[in-house]
Amino acid sequence: MAAAMSKSDALVLDPARSIGRRPVRRPMPKLWLLVLPASLFFLIFFILPVASLLGMSFNKTIPGVLGFSSALTLDNYVRIFTRSLYFDAIFRSVGIGVLVSLVCLLLGYPLAYVIARTKVPARVTVLTILVLSSMQLDMVIRLYGLMVLLGDNGLINQMLLASGLVSAPLHLMYNTFGVVVGLVQVTLPFMIMSLIGVIRQIPPSFEEAARSLGASRAAAFRHVALPLSMPGILSGSLLVFAMSISSYVVPALMGGWKVLVLPIHVYQQIAEAGRWQFGAAIAAVLFLTSLLAVIVYDRAAAYIAGGRS
Amino acid sequence: MTEIRLDTLTKRYGTSTAVDGIDLTIGEGEFFSLLGPSGCGKSTTLRMIAGFVTPSAGRILLGDDDVTALPPEARDIGIVFQNYAIFPHMNVAANIAFGLKMRKVGKAEIDKRVREVLAQVGLEGYENRYSRELSGGEQQRVALARVLVTRPRILLLDEPLSALDKNMREEMKFWIKDLQKSLGITTVYVTHDQDEALTMSDRIGVMERSRLVQVGTPEEIYERPATLFVTGFIGHSNLIDVTARPETEGHCRVHFAGADFSARVRGALDKETPAQLAVRPENVIVDAETLPDGVVAFPAKVVSETYQGPIVRYRIDIQGTTITAERQNQAHRPRLAVGDAVLAGWDPARCETLLR
Ligand SMILES: Nc1ncnc2c1ncn2[C@@H]1O[C@H](COP(=O)(O)OP(=O)(O)O)[C@@H](O)[C@H]1O
Ligand SMILES: [Mg+2]
Repeated sequence: MAAAMSKSDALVLDPARSIGRRPVRRPMPKLWLLVLPASLFFLIFFILPVASLLGMSFNKTIPGVLGFSSALTLDNYVRIFTRSLYFDAIFRSVGIGVLVSLVCLLLGYPLAYVIARTKVPARVTVLTILVLSSMQLDMVIRLYGLMVLLGDNGLINQMLLASGLVSAPLHLMYNTFGVVVGLVQVTLPFMIMSLIGVIRQIPPSFEEAARSLGASRAAAFRHVALPLSMPGILSGSLLVFAMSISSYVVPALMGGWKVLVLPIHVYQQIAEAGRWQFGAAIAAVLFLTSLLAVIVYDRAAAYIAGGRS
Repeated sequence: MTEIRLDTLTKRYGTSTAVDGIDLTIGEGEFFSLLGPSGCGKSTTLRMIAGFVTPSAGRILLGDDDVTALPPEARDIGIVFQNYAIFPHMNVAANIAFGLKMRKVGKAEIDKRVREVLAQVGLEGYENRYSRELSGGEQQRVALARVLVTRPRILLLDEPLSALDKNMREEMKFWIKDLQKSLGITTVYVTHDQDEALTMSDRIGVMERSRLVQVGTPEEIYERPATLFVTGFIGHSNLIDVTARPETEGHCRVHFAGADFSARVRGALDKETPAQLAVRPENVIVDAETLPDGVVAFPAKVVSETYQGPIVRYRIDIQGTTITAERQNQAHRPRLAVGDAVLAGWDPARCETLLR
C-alpha cells in the first residue's frame, strides 16, 4: 500500500513525465486538499468583498445605502475623471509612489549591497536584524515616533532653532514631504530585503572579472552589478510602489488630511460621507493603477530577461 | 612575457595568517602551479597578485613594476575563476569585447580581435550565445578568450578545471597547457589536484598552512619531497620508521630491519636519531627469488594482493612492518600469492629520509 502510494506520487510530481507525451494517468487529489483551505479563505475574505465593492462602484451613489443593485451606471467613474479633485489624486498617488520607490532604491541599494556582500555571518545577522527591527513595532507607533521628530516643535526643529540655522520652524510634516518620509520608513525594509536576495545571487567573481579586465569600480558596477541587480530593483520597486499608493495610515497621520491621495478619498467618501458606491469606484481606480504598475513591471522584467535568452 | 616576483608576501585576517611571507620568483613564460590542500592560502596569494586582496606586508612585482598598490584594473592581468564568471547578461562576443571596451579600443578593431581569439580557442560561430547555452568546457574557453584578447602581462587561473567532469578535465588540462606554451605567457595556476600540477607545470610550489614549503620541477617534487607533508600530499609513500646516523653532507646512514644503508636526507643531523624513510610503492621491488644489484633486500611475506588492472598492489610484511608495493601487471612476471615468502626491498638512491 505504502509502496503503491509513493509510486503514484513520483509519477505525478516528476515534471518530465507530466509534461511529456504520456498523459498523467491519475489526478492528485491530495495536492488539491492542501491548497483548498487557503483558496477558500482567499475566495471568501478577499475575492468576494473586493468583487462586491467593484460591483457597487457601478451603482448610483446614494449616501448611506450599502449593497449591490442591478441598475448599472458609469456615473461614479465619469465623476472621478472629470473632477480635478479626484483626477489629480491619481497623479498625486502615482507620483508619491514613484518618488518613494526611488528614494527607497537610492537609500536601500548601498545597504543591501553591503549586507549581501558581507562574508562574516554574525555581521550579516546584526545588519539584517537592524533592517527588520523597524518592522517589529506597529506602523502607527513608528509613525507617532516620526511625528515627535518631524513636528513643528519636534526634535529636528528644536535643534535647528537652537543652533540658529533657521528662525522659524520648518514644516516637515502634514505635507507631501512628511508623507514621503513616512512611506519610505514603512517600505524601505521591503526594498532592502528584495535587493539583498538578488544581489546575493551575483557571484562576487563577476565584478572581480570586470575589474581585472580593466573596469574601474564604478564601471564594474554600471556594466555588471547594476544590470544583474535589475530583477531585485524591479520587484523591490513594484512592492514599494504598490504599498505606497495603497497606504491609508501614512498619508492620514503624516499628511494630516492635507495630502489628498486616493486612499484618503476612499476613506472620506465611505467612512465620513457614507457614499459607498463612489468610494468603491475610487478604490477600483486605485486597484487598476496598481495593476498597471504590475504590467509595466512584467514588461520591463521580460525585456531584461529577453536580453539574456 | 613578464617575470613575477613575490617579496615576503603576507596576508593576515585578524589574528590568523592566510599567507605567510612568500618569497618567490616566477620566470618569464613559466607555467607555475601553487599546489596545496584547501585553505592553505593558494587563492589568497593569487588574489593578492590580481589586486583583489591587499597584502598585509610584502611586495608584488611584475617585471620591474611594483604593482602592490595598484587597483586590479591597472595591473593588466588576466584571471580565470573557478566559476568562469561569464557575464550572464552579455553574449559571448560582448563578454570577450568587455576588456577591449574598457581600454577604449575602436569598434572595428574589437570585432577583428574577438573573431581572432574565438578562432584561437576553437569557438568560431559562438558570438551570439549566452553563458547558459555553453557547456562547462566552452565556458572555460570563453573565459580564457575574454582574458587573452586583452593581451595581459600574466595569466592567473584559480582551480579552473574543478567544475568540469573527469573526461573534460583531462582534455582541458592539455589544451590549456598547449595554449599557454604557444602564447608563452607567464602563468600562475592554483590547484589542489596533484595530477594537474604534475602534468601541466614547469615548476610547482607546494603550500602548507599559509607557507610555501617546497618549490621545484614536478620531478623534483615527486622524487625528492622536502617534508613529511609534501611526501604525503604528492602521491603515496610508505613511511617506514628507521634510525638515522650522520654520514656525509646530504646523506645519512639508515638502519632498518637489520640492514644498514646510505640514503638521502635534507638538513644535517649530528647524532643518531629516529626518522622516517619514504619509499614510493612503485619503488618497492618484490620478487620470489632474486632482487637486482644495489637493492637492499629483506626476507618478507605477502600479506594481501589487490588487482587493479595495469598494476597489482601487494601488502608486504618485513619483520613486523607492513609496506605497500606496486608491480606492473606484465605477462612475463608471475603474480605472487598471499602467504608467499618473498624478497622485498628498494634502491636507497630512490628513497628520502625525513627527520622530524
Ligand atoms: N576574506 C577573508 N576573511 C577571513 N579569512 C579569510 C578570508 N579569505 C580567506 N580566509 C582564510 O584564509 C585561509 C586561506 O584561504 P584560501 O586562500 O582561500 O585557501 P585555498 O585557496 O588554498 O583553499 C583560509 O583559512 C580562509 O578561511
Ligand atoms: Mg581556493
